[in-house]
Amino acid sequence: MKADFQLDAKGLSCPMPIVKTKKVMADLVDGQILEVSATDKGSKADIAAWAETVGHQYVGTLETEGVLKHYIRKCSNDRIEETMFDQTIDLELITSSEGLILDVREEAEFAFGHIAGAKSIPMGQLEARLSELDKEREIYVICRTGKRSDMAAQKLASHGFTRVFNVLPGMTSWKGDLTKNI
Amino acid sequence: MSNKVAIIASNGGLFDAYKVFNIATAAAASEKEVAIFFTFEGLNFIHKQGMHALPMPAGAEHFAAGFAKANVPAIPQLVEMAQELGVKFIACQMTMDVMGLSTGDFIEGIEVGGAVTFLEFAKDAAPSLTF
Repeated sequence: MKADFQLDAKGLSCPMPIVKTKKVMADLVDGQILEVSATDKGSKADIAAWAETVGHQYVGTLETEGVLKHYIRKCSNDRIEETMFDQTIDLELITSSEGLILDVREEAEFAFGHIAGAKSIPMGQLEARLSELDKEREIYVICRTGKRSDMAAQKLASHGFTRVFNVLPGMTSWKGDLTKNI
Repeated sequence: MSNKVAIIASNGGLFDAYKVFNIATAAAASEKEVAIFFTFEGLNFIHKQGMHALPMPAGAEHFAAGFAKANVPAIPQLVEMAQELGVKFIACQMTMDVMGLSTGDFIEGIEVGGAVTFLEFAKDAAPSLTF
C-alpha cells in the first residue's frame, strides 16, 4: 500500500507506538499518509483512538504475519471546508447515474473502502493522468468530505472537462456497500 | 472538553511507575497537557538513583522476565520521554522535607510545589488519576 512516510514501531510495547507516531506525524504535511508498522496488538485500537482524539484520519489497518500496518492521514483541525465548484451532484444520485465516479482520495483510503466501480486517481496524480479520462462522459468527483474533490473538479474544468460534478457530501456520508482492495 | 490530565503518583513500586508513565506519555502524545504530582513514595520515580531500582511488588518478582520479553521500555526512558513530550513534574515539598530530600536529589526539569500547586493545575483537568 502506498504511503508518504513509514514508521517502524515493531517490537515496541504501549505507549511507544503512539508516542513515536505522534513525533513522526509532525513531519508530514496535511493530506499525507503515514504507515505505522507495529507488533503490539493493542496498537490497532490505540492508533484509531489516538487519531480520533487529535483530529487525524484513521484510514485502516492491514495484518500480515503478525505485523500490523496502520494507515493514518494527516489532517489539521482548523482548515475550513469550503467548496467553490458550481456543478455539484448529490451523493445519493451518483450510483443511479451514467457517469464515471472518480475517487481522488489517496490510494490507501481508496483501498480500505470505496464505491463499487469507482476509478481511483489520487488528487496529486490527477494532472499527469488526465488522458485516462473521457471528456464526453460525465465525471462525478468524490473524496472524503468534498474538499479535495472540489479542487479536482476545478482542475478538470481548467483542462476542458465540462461534464464534471463535485459529489456532496463525500464518502463520510456514504451509507451503501464499500468495496475493498486489501 | 478538558485538555488536561492530572496524575498523582503516591506509590513507589515498579508497577506503579508504569501505570503513571504509560498514561502520562500516552496522554501527552494525544496533545493533552499533563502534570504529575509526586508525593511520598512516588518521589522514587524522579529520584536520580531511586528511579533505576524500583521494587517489584512482593511475590511478583517472576514478572521481570515478562517485562524483558514484552520489550517494555525502562522507567528512566519513559521519564525522559514524558519530559520530552512536555509533561510537567511537580515534586511535593512537604514529603521532601519529611524524607530529608532536596532538589539536587532529583532529575533536572522538575518543579517543587505543595498541594495547592497541583490543585490549581487539576481544577479543570479530566481525568484526574491517582496511583
